[in-house]
Amino acid sequence: MSKIIHYRNKCIGCGICQQQQPTLWRMSKKDGKATLIQAIEKKGIYQIAIPTHLLELTINVAKACPVNIIKIV
Amino acid sequence: MANKTIELLSPAGSFDCIQAAINAGADAIYFGVEQLNMRTRSSNGFSLADIEEVSTLCHSNGIKAYLTLNTVMYDHDMQLLKAILQQVKLHHIDAVIAADFAVMEYCSQLQIPLHISTQANISNIAAVQFFARMADVVVLARELTLRQITQITRDIERRNILGVSGKPLEVEIFVHGALCMAISGKCYLSLHTQNAAANRGACVQNCRRSYIVTDAETNEQLVIDNEYIMSPKDLCTIGVLDQVVNSGVQVLKIEGRSKGADYVYTVTKCYKEALEAIANGTYNAASIAQWETMLATVYNRGFWEGYYLGQEMGEWTKSPGSAATEKKVYIGKGSRYYPNIQVGEFDIEAGTLQPGDTIMVSGQAHGMFKETLHQLTVNGNHAIIAEKGDKLTFPITTKVAVTDKLYKITKA
Repeated sequence: MSKIIHYRNKCIGCGICQQQQPTLWRMSKKDGKATLIQAIEKKGIYQIAIPTHLLELTINVAKACPVNIIKIV
Repeated sequence: MANKTIELLSPAGSFDCIQAAINAGADAIYFGVEQLNMRTRSSNGFSLADIEEVSTLCHSNGIKAYLTLNTVMYDHDMQLLKAILQQVKLHHIDAVIAADFAVMEYCSQLQIPLHISTQANISNIAAVQFFARMADVVVLARELTLRQITQITRDIERRNILGVSGKPLEVEIFVHGALCMAISGKCYLSLHTQNAAANRGACVQNCRRSYIVTDAETNEQLVIDNEYIMSPKDLCTIGVLDQVVNSGVQVLKIEGRSKGADYVYTVTKCYKEALEAIANGTYNAASIAQWETMLATVYNRGFWEGYYLGQEMGEWTKSPGSAATEKKVYIGKGSRYYPNIQVGEFDIEAGTLQPGDTIMVSGQAHGMFKETLHQLTVNGNHAIIAEKGDKLTFPITTKVAVTDKLYKITKA
């Protein structure tokens, strides 16, 4: 199964991920950055496994991120 | 206009740059924190926790500190915005530079002095009058001519337009640095090509690249005399600074929060000297030529006077990167400092140094320190070369830290 890795510290809070994929992303009201819902955090980097049927859209979200901080592995 | 009232405002993307601005004689600096400023791609951005240190550093050196909060703001930014403004209030940052009405509203509630950003594109006296209700300084659009600017400053005086604090409203303009191919803040080029939100500070600068124009119908390439059809040269007003001062503005701003301490120091120093020369009547062609030579040593895309003299079209750069006459090559980093003898030690990590080479140290304590090393002391002995693995020592009056970077300055 593929994983999303989100380097959250570098997020500029433009909101494109949340707009394209609201089931996985929400905008934090606390610091204005995108939050990967239910992801596990390690040293400021967030990870979560994604089911295959969400993969295509998530790849597009990763491509859409203007600061390139969403990786799919 | 008496020159002493002119404030020189320098950009600061790091503590090194703040120190460089102080050393070069800036009257104030502007900086951004977190993601709510127009230089979010800059690697050395400040965080919320840095506001106190920036304030202390600036105020203990007798200069002002302004915080830029001039991106497009969304609902999800409001809490961070309020948290930033609370820190601004708590640590007595001198003003906030804003373009969004939410920022203006919160500044008003918290009674934080406000400057209206160039992102608001103020281009006429009615807009100036509108913003005077909430601000003390307005930064005019970078696309105005000096004649238009003069008209605005005269009208402010004639109509006795006061800022929110009750003092006469001040006008700020950009005097040096990069220009945008669009009206500031109105460009969506990055968004169309790479989905990068330029108005959230993530501009990828695709206007700076070379382009080929093809007729889509015939597939023929059109002949154009310059491939960099969208990349304007950098603004430089050092040669017309007397006219700029005579336009009646009070604050002169230097662009460049993404640039290094060497840029901040050199540009600030040149403009400071030029302002002093105008004040004491020694501003002349010979000194302008000297400043232009100095300014060309740091990052630039070639210079023109922007739209201030009223050219019909922009002047476009002819190269992809900097046209600086000097470049800095990374050599190593600071390792220790001997305060009694005022000698700094640096670890050489790349390249080589020889006697006669000019080096530059960039660091928080020095801002920018530049010197020619006529003799080399390597691993405690005189040497004719310093290379990777060596420890280089030389006299330096400010404390060397491990975060300091050592560069060799070479001709570009």
